[in-house]
Amino acid sequence: MRVSRFTPSPLEGEGWGGGYTKNFRIPRKVLMFAAQLALNALALGAAYALVALGFVLVLNATTAVNFGHGDTVVAGGFLAVALATLVPGDLAVPGLVLLPAILALMALFGALMSWLVYLPIRDRPPVTTFITTIAFGIIIANGVNALFGGAPRSAPSLIGSGGFSAGELFLSRQSIAIIIVSAILIGGLALLLNRTQLGRQLRACAQDPEMAQAIGIHLTRMTVITFALAAALAGAAGLLLANQFFVTPSDGGVLMLKAYIAVTIGGWGSLRGAVAGALLIASFEVAVASQFSQLVAEGLLYVTLFVVLFFRPQGLFGEPLGQRA
Amino acid sequence: MSAPLLSVSGLSVAYGGVPAVEPLDFSVVAGNSITILGANGAGKSSLLRGLMGLAATTGKITFDGIEIAKLTTADRARHGIAFVPEGRRVFAGMSVRENLEVAAHVNTQERQRRLDAAYALFPQLAARDSDAAWQLSGGQQQMLAIARAMMARPKLLLMDEPSLGLAPAIAKDVVGALAAIAADTTILLAEQNASLALEIAAHALILDRGRLIFEGSADEIRRRPELLSPAHAAS
Repeated sequence: MRVSRFTPSPLEGEGWGGGYTKNFRIPRKVLMFAAQLALNALALGAAYALVALGFVLVLNATTAVNFGHGDTVVAGGFLAVALATLVPGDLAVPGLVLLPAILALMALFGALMSWLVYLPIRDRPPVTTFITTIAFGIIIANGVNALFGGAPRSAPSLIGSGGFSAGELFLSRQSIAIIIVSAILIGGLALLLNRTQLGRQLRACAQDPEMAQAIGIHLTRMTVITFALAAALAGAAGLLLANQFFVTPSDGGVLMLKAYIAVTIGGWGSLRGAVAGALLIASFEVAVASQFSQLVAEGLLYVTLFVVLFFRPQGLFGEPLGQRA
Repeated sequence: MSAPLLSVSGLSVAYGGVPAVEPLDFSVVAGNSITILGANGAGKSSLLRGLMGLAATTGKITFDGIEIAKLTTADRARHGIAFVPEGRRVFAGMSVRENLEVAAHVNTQERQRRLDAAYALFPQLAARDSDAAWQLSGGQQQMLAIARAMMARPKLLLMDEPSLGLAPAIAKDVVGALAAIAADTTILLAEQNASLALEIAAHALILDRGRLIFEGSADEIRRRPELLSPAHAAS
């Protein structure tokens, strides 16, 4: 993480309150440091948001937790690695070029997943889905391990390496691209859900599956589409994360937990909450890791989760069941 | 006499093997709305849910010349049966407009035409177009549920207890709207409030503890109100 190149030039600011003005100085290096952290957190949080959105889409459509979702992200990361190696010669293909293929192939993967792990057992208690999705996740992890080995791999960057300096801030191309690509995908999803008939049908199924069927919506079709959307978002997140943080076959569990925490903090079942939760946990991770270590950051994240659950069990943006999207 | 729009033969409904409606036969001719009367627990809702494919049934259901007992709920809806359940069950987190649009599986222009017609029938909904459905009053939610069902331009409208939980004046408005709908659409109306129901339907079935105990005209029930007493005694 870039924390260097700070200059000690202070900024002057004004205090407030009490009828007097007291000058104080915020060191410029503190401001720059905070801005750099915010940028890094935004990039990480944007990728986490894609993971969390996929997770919550399936959660709302099935009322069951997809414990294989983290492994779907891993599959997306390794798909990016594999696609990059298919290009002949030394031509480095930008991840942005691979993105449409990853979205399409992962959507197919998600549709297949729905047929294998959910639809045959959808009338059984949710615990059955927990088990089948865990099993599917293990199959993905072992399959990826058999194909690629256990060593960390890196997917191509979206638009190349390097970056720009803006004053004392360093803006990496990858971070900017992650933020833009994630914003486009999240915006696209919001448009799909709110402005199209398909989106309205998906939301109707999430809110009241029985009534959705009674107005002529085919629930099975909507479930398959939901899994496809979720896997496509997970695949995109896999591509984005696998460049900056590498990807190994065993990463699925941690990614799944991050999505789970984001959705729990944001509000179980809330799409806006999932994005907000993802940004919050990324900010927390980046800030704590910058002062201590990633290990401490992840440990404290779980402590924070307990605190949030204690004081606000419905999450920050929790919605009643009937209002879910 | 024209072929019935809906014909059921030996139809029974059960939940987890527990019978809710004993085998019964009846038919509905297009344009002749029918009300199903009976006390709470008589099997009215179960019968409608069975017809819609939301409860397990045995027996034969023929709708518009097609055997539909094996069809999914969604396919029954696409064939022209609409359902307004007890308790309304609007999509609470979606706006009034979205609740209506989602039920019309047609192109954008036709969807808009149907939306305009729904708002003409229920002007109160037009004024709440962009409000979330959970923000509506009970009466407005009932109007929304009926308007949503009508967005599919059904041939048969299954209505379950539309007056339940509504203030008498609001219930009267809702029944007035249903009477207007009944001019073009056949309604099968399950209702405890016989006087309201008989304003809409010329024919009636009376259920008592899952059994069909009477089938006849509304006039006959008006002449012989004691017909309703066994059903009410059951509650």
